[in-house]
Amino acid sequence: MTTALDNREMLINIGPQHPSTHGVLRLKMRLEGEIIKDTEPIIGYLHRGMEKLAESRSYCQYLPMVDRIDYLSSFFNLASFCMAVENLSEFEVPGKAQYIRVITMELNRIASHLLWLGSFLLDMGATSPLFYTFREREEIIKLFEDLAGARLLYNYYCFGGVKKDIPEGWDKKVLEVCKKLPKYIKEYEAIITKNPIVLERTKCVGVLDKTTALSYGITGPNLRASGVNYDLRKVKPYSVYNELNFKVCTAQNGDCHDRYRVRVDEMLESVKIIEQAIKKLPDQEDVLFTKKIAPAVFKAPEGETVSLIESPRGITACYLTSDGTIKPQRVKWRTGSFSAVQLLPELIKNRQYADLMPILGSLDIVLPEVDR
Amino acid sequence: MTYIEAQGILNKAKELKTEGFDLLLSIFAQETAENIECIYHFCSTINNQEIILKTKLDKNNPRIESISSLYKTADWNERETFDLFGVEFLNHPNLKRILLPNDWKGHPLRKDYKQDDERLSWNER
Repeated sequence: MTTALDNREMLINIGPQHPSTHGVLRLKMRLEGEIIKDTEPIIGYLHRGMEKLAESRSYCQYLPMVDRIDYLSSFFNLASFCMAVENLSEFEVPGKAQYIRVITMELNRIASHLLWLGSFLLDMGATSPLFYTFREREEIIKLFEDLAGARLLYNYYCFGGVKKDIPEGWDKKVLEVCKKLPKYIKEYEAIITKNPIVLERTKCVGVLDKTTALSYGITGPNLRASGVNYDLRKVKPYSVYNELNFKVCTAQNGDCHDRYRVRVDEMLESVKIIEQAIKKLPDQEDVLFTKKIAPAVFKAPEGETVSLIESPRGITACYLTSDGTIKPQRVKWRTGSFSAVQLLPELIKNRQYADLMPILGSLDIVLPEVDR
Repeated sequence: MTYIEAQGILNKAKELKTEGFDLLLSIFAQETAENIECIYHFCSTINNQEIILKTKLDKNNPRIESISSLYKTADWNERETFDLFGVEFLNHPNLKRILLPNDWKGHPLRKDYKQDDERLSWNER
């Protein structure tokens, strides 16, 4: 970026307020005509100091804030933080709570992927799919509203379990939604997967090979689209994922179309996981958390731990260090989008400017998660 | 979790990379009573292993070799650690602030950090 401009080149600025950057991402670009020569992403516009704020709050005060790290997949952040505290305190999460966690997380994964799908196509200029995906997302969000009372930021898990039981008939409603989803997803495939315009704009665009992906620390669907079969739910099962039967969706080419395919397949797998989990959900169990904790004086024992979770945007990790007081000594968040933004310049180098939006969209970046 | 000498990080990372640890999950720092610890979390997608390395750095002058030549992801992770903790990574291609503005004073995650920049208004200080 620092090198002097050729007289045929120009320097342009995109963002931080730009409809297709999914938040406040700023890109400084060197263009030669339509060809992108160099890019420098500038982040930090949404930096809220989540790690610093943890130092001045007690564990229970910090818990609702955790949602805000990635507002599209709040349950994953909550689960990650709760699991870290549970590791330290040696809380055993009861069976029913584990299944509720899995069901809510997978529903959240579908909701997150649906929003991604709509906005991905919106980036490429197709406005109508957004309305389709939001129709289904709304049904899932309504389920969450019934469950936790909130539509986006749930604050539903607590250390050692979940805060309250599922409402009466909620599991039936979930099953109904699960029944409808594969049908809806087929509908998308009819309008998207074989659409010649979409194919033209996504096939062989933004090809990411295995070694580059790993070197950049890319995880989640982006990595699996490049042919690496690595899913924490399978290789390092947390919660009750080892009791559930599902397959890891991969693709081989690593282009934008494959990243789309992997996410669509993942939604169908998530539906299967939810259906199995609902079947296994214990009926008569009232225990939802290990023990009642007093929020004001809760202390996690001294120690260090890490909890890894497969979130819709890659591995979300929470590194927690406790010194035995009511406040955590250090909390560090590792998120999938942070690596994805770093990868962006590599993927769009020497490509047409018009390819920027499909590539940026296909990486599924959520800026609050990048900046924390 | 293993402690290693700070000087040996580049060689150790090289060794790990040949052993199949192909994914660097994150680099971050934390402050203890005596030191600043720089922590590296490696993962292997081939044989499903994990390793966490810790190095102890001097609190007054934390510096360590950069491993961004081996793992591209180290670039931004090290910049973040520099930004928030002031750990200086030697031979880093572009060591500057990443999350905070370029003219920010101090490194906020240090325990002795005080927000007393006179450019801030009274309620932000």
